[in-house]
Amino acid sequence: MNESDPDVLNESVLDELSSSVQGDRSFVVELIEAYLADGESHVADVEAAMATRDAAALVRPAHTLKSSSATVGAERLAALARNLETAGRSGTLDTAAGEHVAGLRQAWGEAGAMLRAWIRRGDGS
Amino acid sequence: MKGPGVVLVVDDSRVNRLVLARQLSGMHIDVLEAENGREALDLLRAHATAIDVVLLDVVMPELDGYETLAAMKADDTTRHIPVIMVSGIEELESVVRCIELGATDYLPKPINPRILAARLSASLAAKHLRDLELEHIEQQRLLTETIERQKTELSRFLSPQIAALVSSQEGEQLLAGHRRLITVAFCDLRGFTTFAEQADPEELFGVLGEYHRMMGHAIIEHGGTLEHFAGDGVMIFFNDPVTQDDHVERAVRMAVAMRERFEPIATGWRKRGYELGFGVGIAVGYATLGRIGFEGRYDYGAIGNVVILASRLSSQATANQILLSQRAAGMVEDVADVESVGEIEIKGLSRPVSASNVLGIPASIT
Repeated sequence: MNESDPDVLNESVLDELSSSVQGDRSFVVELIEAYLADGESHVADVEAAMATRDAAALVRPAHTLKSSSATVGAERLAALARNLETAGRSGTLDTAAGEHVAGLRQAWGEAGAMLRAWIRRGDGS
Repeated sequence: MKGPGVVLVVDDSRVNRLVLARQLSGMHIDVLEAENGREALDLLRAHATAIDVVLLDVVMPELDGYETLAAMKADDTTRHIPVIMVSGIEELESVVRCIELGATDYLPKPINPRILAARLSASLAAKHLRDLELEHIEQQRLLTETIERQKTELSRFLSPQIAALVSSQEGEQLLAGHRRLITVAFCDLRGFTTFAEQADPEELFGVLGEYHRMMGHAIIEHGGTLEHFAGDGVMIFFNDPVTQDDHVERAVRMAVAMRERFEPIATGWRKRGYELGFGVGIAVGYATLGRIGFEGRYDYGAIGNVVILASRLSSQATANQILLSQRAAGMVEDVADVESVGEIEIKGLSRPVSASNVLGIPASIT
């Protein structure tokens, strides 16, 4: 994993977010922590829906993951979640969708690591 | 002074709610949060008048954006609150559907603070304008209600026509005084003075009340303007303040109706030992009409020879007579059966006047 892969975490999104709250970094940290806490269950919900081929149950966690990932700059995760939301809506949980779910889990791990690194970097400065 | 407003943020994602709440509080806006449509509706029901704008996500558990929006629009207390849909750009189709359902605006995700501020200030301005409008309508309503209540109160003391005059545009001009051809009818009771001396006050007021009720109905039915009650004496005029082409005929018809209705009442009194008879005098002529009295107590009254003539005819009438002046009799000969009673001496007039009694109104005409 490339530590500064902008696909995994687009840090400029976090910078914009910071400046939109007058540089209040602790707010951005709080936001990331909320994202990491809630996102885990969304990823798990997507996996469970995929395992039971329940397209309808997949839509909402995928949708939430898509928009919250976009908010914190986890762009690869947001893109995968969007694909899965679309697949869920059209009811086509095919092999491609299955690969997206596997990718989602991996992207979640990578984005989480980079977000935690971002928080730590701030703590040291 | 109220702040810029209160916004309800409805989104199932805590991350999104945090971002929105933070950006809104940066704009000094008070924020309420709901995780889904159901919670949002509960908050709206509890704080409908306090919430200025709703930021509504589309995809949510429990109750989604469509259902929430539809429920808001179906409820009179929440229908007017602007709703801004918050949604990803790829959900444009669902946003269009929400706008059709009554949403005010659309905010794309991820939220851009400047777009948020712009959309929100437009919706807040619209909401505040509407609140002002509602406040204004409410003030108007209270004012109208007060005026109506005063009119109703007033009409219990005054003739309805005069009560209407007092609160109308052209009223002041008429109240200030004018001359007009009117018909005056005076009614009183024969034997009343003797009765009043002998009867208990309760009995006296009971008899007067019954008499006045009957008279009052007949006056209203025929569109007469009641000038005053004075014991058994009642003065009514026609053709003022509301003009009436058939004013003499109206007065005669009213008097005939009163005479018919008086009979059963008098029979009841007779059984209790009171012998009272009903008499009317009617005259036509010009009078000066308007506000009479002084600051603190005004009446709407008529002054002129026609008033004196009607009053004197009434006092000359025997029980059950409706005496018409010569001019009045001439004006109703087509509708009423009248018979001349010859010339009558009238106090204050140098020469006796011709008068006629109304026998009745032929059935073919009524």
